[in-house]
Amino acid sequence: MPEKLIEVKNLVTEFNTENGLVRAVDNISFDINKGEIVGIVGESGSGKSVTSLSIMRLIPNPPGKISGGQILYNHTQKGTIDITNLPEEEMRSIRGNEISMIFQEPMTSLNPVFTCGDQVAEAIMLHQKVSKKEAEQRTLALFEKVKLPNPPRILKAYPHQLSGGQKQRVMIAMAMSCNPHVLIADEPTTALDVTVQKTILELILGLSKETGMSTIFITHDLGVIGEIADRVIVMYKGKIVEQGSVVDIFANPQHPYTKGLLACRPPLDKRLSKLPIISDFMKEKEDGTLEELASDMQQLVDAYVVTPEATIARMAKLEAGKKILEVKNMQTWFPSKTNIFGKPLEYVKAVDDVSFDVYEGETLGLVGESGCGKTTLGRSILRLIEPTGGQALFEGRDILKLAPKELKDLREHMQIIFQDPYSSLNPRLTIGSAIMEPMQVHGKYNSDKERKDMVVELLQKVNMKPEHFNRYPHEFSGGQRQRICIARALALNPRFIICDESVSALDVSVQAQVLNLLIKLREEFKFTYIFISHDLSVVKFMSDRMVVMNKGRIEEMGLADEIYHHPQKEYTQKLIDAIPKGRLEDIKNRFAVDI
Amino acid sequence: MIQFILKRLGYGILVMVGVVTVVFTLFNILPVDPARLTLGQRADVESVEAINKELGLDKPMPVQFAMYLNDISPIAIHENNLEAKEKYKYLKLIPFGKEALVLKAPYLRRSYQTKRPVSEVLGEAMPQTIILAVASMLIATFLGILFGIIAAIRQHSWLDSFLMAFSQLGISIPSYLSAILLSHFFGNVLADITGLNQTGGLFEMDDFGNRFLSIKNLILPTIALGTRPIGIIFQLTRTSMLEVLNQDYIRTAKAKGLAFGKILYKHALRNALNPVVTTVSGWFAALLAGAFFVEYQFGIRGLGLEAVDSLLKFDFPITMGAVLYTAFIFVIINILVDILYAVLDPRISVK
Repeated sequence: MPEKLIEVKNLVTEFNTENGLVRAVDNISFDINKGEIVGIVGESGSGKSVTSLSIMRLIPNPPGKISGGQILYNHTQKGTIDITNLPEEEMRSIRGNEISMIFQEPMTSLNPVFTCGDQVAEAIMLHQKVSKKEAEQRTLALFEKVKLPNPPRILKAYPHQLSGGQKQRVMIAMAMSCNPHVLIADEPTTALDVTVQKTILELILGLSKETGMSTIFITHDLGVIGEIADRVIVMYKGKIVEQGSVVDIFANPQHPYTKGLLACRPPLDKRLSKLPIISDFMKEKEDGTLEELASDMQQLVDAYVVTPEATIARMAKLEAGKKILEVKNMQTWFPSKTNIFGKPLEYVKAVDDVSFDVYEGETLGLVGESGCGKTTLGRSILRLIEPTGGQALFEGRDILKLAPKELKDLREHMQIIFQDPYSSLNPRLTIGSAIMEPMQVHGKYNSDKERKDMVVELLQKVNMKPEHFNRYPHEFSGGQRQRICIARALALNPRFIICDESVSALDVSVQAQVLNLLIKLREEFKFTYIFISHDLSVVKFMSDRMVVMNKGRIEEMGLADEIYHHPQKEYTQKLIDAIPKGRLEDIKNRFAVDI
Repeated sequence: MIQFILKRLGYGILVMVGVVTVVFTLFNILPVDPARLTLGQRADVESVEAINKELGLDKPMPVQFAMYLNDISPIAIHENNLEAKEKYKYLKLIPFGKEALVLKAPYLRRSYQTKRPVSEVLGEAMPQTIILAVASMLIATFLGILFGIIAAIRQHSWLDSFLMAFSQLGISIPSYLSAILLSHFFGNVLADITGLNQTGGLFEMDDFGNRFLSIKNLILPTIALGTRPIGIIFQLTRTSMLEVLNQDYIRTAKAKGLAFGKILYKHALRNALNPVVTTVSGWFAALLAGAFFVEYQFGIRGLGLEAVDSLLKFDFPITMGAVLYTAFIFVIINILVDILYAVLDPRISVK
């Protein structure tokens, strides 16, 4: 009988909002046993983060409040205590000491004005009576333990001097500093590249095995759960819809929502014409109950499979067509060191001698880790960043030589969809006027009335409603905002669209919807895409051909399936290995090794 | 860091040269005859010419400018004789022939009216202005930040609303109005209770002829001058603090188990102070340039009053000197603030 460490009983957490009291967590119960890793999975708004914050008693109050149930914690000295009614002072001695937490955004979770060493040492000195020197020694040991390179340097470094993955390691070191019994990891890898994600997952897995602590791992991605968790809790709209061992959930999912989450990840072994989404599996009826639409996951996936022959035929057809874009020896260098008169002495070669072609109607994938130059390349092609050399021929005309007026005309044909749907919409413009603006700038259509009709039509094209015209961006979810951004990119009837990490900030289930939309639009309008992402699985799903970039140069280039199945370079292999595959046999293997 | 400071100092010198150029041009295109101002309307032609010659007014404009720059610059070339040494009070560095490269305090020339050296006149005005500015900014900064923090952690409470309304009032009242009201009520109507004077300089003489600082006469002008900065610093601190308290790293600090007070003063305040430093330094520099209305109302002979007075009397050397003093203060404070930013926030690169 495993020893229970945390027992959540009928927990209810409510938020006071403009629309009345909202139950973010609605009567949920689960246990966390000693030494196990429990994954909580669900979309944004499913209540998974609120659950973890409830356990830490960090719900912002007002507006939030734990309004029912118990969270029983098996304290080493004090026996079983109920966290929900503990005095604040006692709670503080538990936070960071018995139960610690790491967060989604490593970029903003560390205080920018203190060194990493100070911040970790602060946690140590808070809970343990040690001298400053001793705390510093322990911090060094912790940095070593979380495999940070050059710990003495990190000790004195400020957060902005580290990469995202390194910051998350510092956060983990801080969380581990007092040897906690429970570690709560709230989407710790969502903001990171897949390659960095893999190393962080390995680290957390290793630490929990080594120290015997329990871990609550929260994520929207079942693939990640498959890599790390022993047990899974699936949450939907504040309720637990299914829980069980990770093998059971992957082998035999019961709830349609779980099936949807499993099926919506881009599969690696086969090519699909579109991705299954949650709403293929279930529908919410008006009384709030769920209706199951499809129960057989495999059947649904199989219906979308594209045969290799069809893929080859499509590529042959594309290659028979004309080249819409030819990039030749493109260079974008940024000065990294200048002399006293501002003359550059050294450069960062963000894009260095890159050449490729894009055929009309094709989707070209651009994949690589952050910092490999893929985003700079995308922006250089549109001249949002001025390249320092080379050519980019769009239908035979060199974009880099265009006069400002001609460049403006070209923008009609070439558009870009950015990564962050939250910051790429002006919060003070209604979405209708945001989409209408490019039409006005380019003098498309005769009157604002005509433009308005077009916007409504576009909104419908991206599965939004006409009545959304007068709403503001903050009223929409991330997925909806990204659809609005897509509609804005479509406003000028472009033929060529660059998607720059357009789905990286979205939940996997929402990502599937947006990817399907992009494919639907490609078929409908005969678009050509350059699809940029750090996630090879997404790029592979979207693209006909794929370019792998590393350190500003092209590592390899070829048919998407070909590169996935037969990578020529070690770097490509690394990208492929990093994808959380969520394959049942891998998960079973993970446990087989343990035994 | 040293390189950073040197670079800032270099920029500062460039700015000062620019200011000198503008000031010189501005006051030389005005139709004023310094000789007549110095000697009065009835002076004879010879005396007028002598003055013109002394001031170099008989020379072309570029030469006049070069002479002015030479007078202002701490490192300059002057005649190597006793008369010049007496005039400029210089320290000889390298003599060559009739001239010498010298080190000196900037020579701002003499007042047309009183013939006193400008630096002496302004030197007397400066201490009053500095004391007044330092006192009011100290109080404004301390109270503004304190109330700002209190309002931020008690957001939406009655105290917050009250402080907000009060600060709005403080920002809206111009200092000349508050100066008049304060001096009238507390220095006149209620003088028996408060024991304060309606007007009075900051320095008084005791019976033995020693100058001493009159705290009594400092109180009202300080309040009059500090009212607006308090309101502005309060509102900025509050807004900045509210923003910082919503940051992820504050949540991290809570998750560590830190007590709220410690989170507040250690993790939040330092991040919230950057915009406040900008405002405080701007106001401080502005107050050091003199606060004419308040000085006038309370009869304090500070830089502001001296500058406006000289302008009215066409005593341009003093006006020009006052402008240069002010510019110098701004440059120095800006350099200090840049250094302070870098200390407060390591993300601001000193390179």
